Amino acid sequence: MQRILNALVQYRNLILYLVLLGVSFLFLNGSSQFHQNHLERYGLLFSQGLHDFSNSIGNYFRLKKINETLLAENMKLKERELKSNNIPLYPSILKTNKRFPFKVKEANVIRNSYLNQRNYIIIDKGAVDGVKKEMAVLSNQGVVGIVNSVSDHYSSIVSILNQDLKINVRLKKSNALGSLSWKGTKTTDFKIEDVVQNAQLSIGDTLLTGGMSSYFPYGIPIGKISAFERNATSGYYTISAELFDDPSLLYYVYLIEHKDQDEINTLTKDINK
Amino acid sequence: MNQNSLSLLVSFVVLVLLQVLLFSKMHLFGFINPMVYLLFLVIYPFKGNQTLFILLGFSIGFSIDFLSQSGGAHTLSALTVAYLRPFLIRNAFGVTAEIPTHFQNDNRTLNKLIFLALLLGVHHLIYFSLVFFSWSAVFLIVKYSLFTFLFSLLLIALTSRFYKRLNDS
Repeated sequence: MQRILNALVQYRNLILYLVLLGVSFLFLNGSSQFHQNHLERYGLLFSQGLHDFSNSIGNYFRLKKINETLLAENMKLKERELKSNNIPLYPSILKTNKRFPFKVKEANVIRNSYLNQRNYIIIDKGAVDGVKKEMAVLSNQGVVGIVNSVSDHYSSIVSILNQDLKINVRLKKSNALGSLSWKGTKTTDFKIEDVVQNAQLSIGDTLLTGGMSSYFPYGIPIGKISAFERNATSGYYTISAELFDDPSLLYYVYLIEHKDQDEINTLTKDINK
Repeated sequence: MNQNSLSLLVSFVVLVLLQVLLFSKMHLFGFINPMVYLLFLVIYPFKGNQTLFILLGFSIGFSIDFLSQSGGAHTLSALTVAYLRPFLIRNAFGVTAEIPTHFQNDNRTLNKLIFLALLLGVHHLIYFSLVFFSWSAVFLIVKYSLFTFLFSLLLIALTSRFYKRLNDS
């Protein structure tokens, strides 16, 4: 204690000076907006490193939450994107009074097989979350598949990597319709069937979902044509296509609910009777 | 309260009033306001109580700031000069040489001039740096400091001669 007092007495001038210096800085700070701004900037400069450090740690722990909010935002954007894709089929769709029959949900992939000829995906949303059979499934880069069966909390999806699944596609430039299915080899190699030979094809033409099935809305880009050849006998092209996105690398997907699917199905049944 | 203290007190008040009412309004050549109040920091006894002197330096700067609404620049620079004065004295008069008891009791003109120049130079640089407070104004700071410094030096060197007679009597 005595030593502290001694030190205080010994350095009293320096201490007094520093205290008064602080006080005068306060005057300077308080009396002029200009000095206030400048001093605050210097203060920021000093505290910046500290803030950066604590921010980076905090951000790391917030990542999960950020991911969730981004997913939710993406879901909304996906819905808007689908709407805007569908302008050719549903004109004036962006006006509020016009009904758009598709609705978007998001889900996480918990199992994704891609080594078999008939592959399935399991997601962590089920009947409780409003998933229904035959809902379409999209990823951020294209088509994933169609919901096959639904339990309370999980659903299985027939993957696009399943040779039984045929998806109605439209070629962007030539407007020709066809059906896309997996070749069963590489995960991005697909073939398109049923394109009639009077269509003008070009390599690199984009494939969009056709909008002719009740599963997928029109205009989702899936992939592009990588090769084609005329088939003299059948009158149809043999087309090879390549997906934009590798369906084996999925973390989360979007489920598309077609609200009018039941209506359309009844109509089709009536026709087929 | 002895005569010297009274003289200091009167000097304090008179210098503050002179500075605020006269010298701060001179605007020589448009921008030069000599800082004559620093004379107080010169005539305070060299061997006086340093702690009290720091407080007095703070007070005189604060008084000027308070009466001329100039923020805290005078306070800060006067305080700093008051704190640094022992070092300036040693630099001006020599570490080993005999240091006078009062500025006005010494006859070494060159040393006194160096002391004044150091004190005023440090003060003016700090003051104008604080007033402009920006790296881009370095040229302005130097210009203002230099010209104001010349006039302050002239005026203080002249007025400090009044004190000799006061003290001798």
